[in-house]
Amino acid sequence: MQPARRSRSPLSAELAHWAERIEAVARSYGLSFHPVEFELLDARAVNGLAAYGGFPVRYPSWRFGMEFERLEKGYQWGLSKIYELVINNDPVVAYLVRSNSLPEQKLVMAHVFGHADFFRNNCWFASTERRMLDAMAQHATLVRRRIDSQGLDTVERFLDLALSLENLIDPYLPLRRKLASGAQVAGAPAPAAGDGPTFDVLGFLCERAPLAEWQREILTLVRDEAYYFQPQRMTKIMNEGWASYWHSRILTGGVLDGSEIVDFADCHSGATATAPGRLNPYKLGIELFRCAERRGEDLMRLRRVHDDASFVDELLDEEFVASQKMFLYARNPRSGKREVSERDAAKVKARLLADLSWGGLPRIELAGVDAGGALHLVHHHDGRDLQLAKARETLARVGGLWGGPAVLDTREDGVGRRLRWRAGELKVEDLDTPIAQSAS
Amino acid sequence: MFRIDADRARFREIVRGRIRSDLSKYLSTPELIARQGEHAVSVPVPQIELPQFCFGANEKGGVGQGPGERGEEFEGEGDGQEGTGAAGEGDGQHILEVDVELDELAEMLGRELALPRIEPRGKRQLVSDSARYSDISNSGPDSLRHFRRSYRQALRRTIAAGEWDPAAPRVAPIREDFRYRARRIVPAPESSAVVIHMMDVSGSMGREQKEIVRIEAFWIDTWLRSQYENLEVVYIVHDASAKVVDHDSFFHLRESGGTKISSAYELCLQLIREKHRPEDWNIYPFHYSDGDNWSARDTEKCITLLRQEILPCVNQFCYGQVKSAYGSGQFKKDLDGALGSDERVVTSSVAERGDIHNAIRAFLGKGR
Repeated sequence: MQPARRSRSPLSAELAHWAERIEAVARSYGLSFHPVEFELLDARAVNGLAAYGGFPVRYPSWRFGMEFERLEKGYQWGLSKIYELVINNDPVVAYLVRSNSLPEQKLVMAHVFGHADFFRNNCWFASTERRMLDAMAQHATLVRRRIDSQGLDTVERFLDLALSLENLIDPYLPLRRKLASGAQVAGAPAPAAGDGPTFDVLGFLCERAPLAEWQREILTLVRDEAYYFQPQRMTKIMNEGWASYWHSRILTGGVLDGSEIVDFADCHSGATATAPGRLNPYKLGIELFRCAERRGEDLMRLRRVHDDASFVDELLDEEFVASQKMFLYARNPRSGKREVSERDAAKVKARLLADLSWGGLPRIELAGVDAGGALHLVHHHDGRDLQLAKARETLARVGGLWGGPAVLDTREDGVGRRLRWRAGELKVEDLDTPIAQSAS
Repeated sequence: MFRIDADRARFREIVRGRIRSDLSKYLSTPELIARQGEHAVSVPVPQIELPQFCFGANEKGGVGQGPGERGEEFEGEGDGQEGTGAAGEGDGQHILEVDVELDELAEMLGRELALPRIEPRGKRQLVSDSARYSDISNSGPDSLRHFRRSYRQALRRTIAAGEWDPAAPRVAPIREDFRYRARRIVPAPESSAVVIHMMDVSGSMGREQKEIVRIEAFWIDTWLRSQYENLEVVYIVHDASAKVVDHDSFFHLRESGGTKISSAYELCLQLIREKHRPEDWNIYPFHYSDGDNWSARDTEKCITLLRQEILPCVNQFCYGQVKSAYGSGQFKKDLDGALGSDERVVTSSVAERGDIHNAIRAFLGKGR
């Protein structure tokens, strides 16, 4: 097993002093976290780590290389720059970019303590693997070993197949298990026994698909990593909002000296800037927490019990939509441009909740295995169609992994469709009885 | 970084595989030319995506933030980027730019067209001086000061003067102690080649004809550059008279006069005699036109020039005829008739972009 590398580049004395100071201030406000270790790296190294999702050691994959290529180009062209990178682990590991100025480093450090508190205290993270640095390194070793025995092409092809299905998990399963048993188990939940129905399609395939041992290992590690990253996907707005709320409070509460205030404001407003066609999670998140604060709510409780969807559901009202100038947009079919279509708070909220639910992904459930041995998937349609071309390709991959026929029921333009994959061939049938539309 | 470089290398390998399998497409479009840097071209490739279940095309809308009345348009970043958190929204292809070294592109070209490597002729070895900072000198700018050598010198002097005290090991350098990094001139052998692109820019050569020439010239230069350590490219345009121009003018200049090809060949010969002597250079004249010449007499003169003066100096002479609405194509027939048996002469004719492929293969296929 490869040990994960840590603290190869410790902080300068000055930064270390500020890290300590900021940590003390954060604790005095009631934040709590696993130990935080900072590393100081140059931009290229940070881009490399970011391509790996923050982890120094991941299994080999061209996808990480592609992401690195993208980040490097963005950095070289001055389009994007990563300020900070933090991983949910015990200890929490955070990277600072060497070229940042001191006020920027202070901001990032305070921000990191906000994330660290969120990782530790938000209920969705309760069962995440906290030794993920080690787990990732083990996954890497395992994949490398399989490459040695099976060959790069074979393993790469299977890994790509598995990664196509990485979203087919049940985001609520870890919490449900915990509530049912009362016990807290770190890591991905054990797959359920039986023929379904289940949203944990990956878990089902790990248990039941006719795979070689090395394939099962790889599928299992893809599933483990998917469950590890899922809470971050479901709490993006809260997590960034919380970290931004605290960096702002901590820094303006005495950590900055007068000469740094303008630099701080510049950096903070850059991070929370809005553009018409996108929602900035930093901005939306911090505004929601400030709104809750004004209403006298218990912020610590809110950050513990919510994910993005329930948080928005609890706080977003007419006043908030108006003050934040939120709107719905749609593409004008004639001009092809996007335009403001609606400012009605209820509609904005409904759309936002739809986008946030289920981690922003389509809900695909495994109904079971039918009499002909076909794996039967059902898309719970909420008004938004699947992209059918991709759905066909993905279904073929499901079938490939299952080693038999696979079926997906969905809807297209209001009409029920059944995609059927069998022996390398994909057919689309109309469904006579439309699938019941499920509320999300 | 460490591992990420291996993953990037793998990604690039996959991308190169795709470029390689699409190379014939690039051979007939100017797509890569505009993207040429000094050592590399940046090739736009679609981001490789793993298929996943995601929301589809009826989902272009979302939640935004900002001022604006209902119905008001806005510009902004591309669809679905962080939109409202819906991952995979929007089906726009994400384009990545991947740098491919010119040498590598040449290698792909060579493989695609099965081109033989070129043996530089005879003793065409220029000796040029290349400089490296590997020497030490007693004087120089502070920025080149060599700390360790300076210190050593100072230490040596201190000890020699009997001022060294191990209990208080202090070394104070004086001006004479300082040492500086300096250039060392290293003679390096070098094989050099010159490409002389000549083109008829009279009225009958239209935009499309020039575009074809531009694509041909790009690939020719790319290949030759990979075969020689040093490649110079010279551009000559001609109508009834000829002149040397820069790269941009070559492809954009448009004259209206008649066509006297011998003017270009004479200028070419003059350049060879004055600047690119055959003892030192591998020489590649390329001439492109739509096949019309002023008179049969001038064609006669061209052939004489080629046979007696130009061909003995050059590796190969290439004539690329580009079909135009006005051109008769007579010049290629005349060249083939008079010099067709000479292996130093290659002619080709291109009617449309799809033929570029064959023209390049004809020009470079002899390995001369």
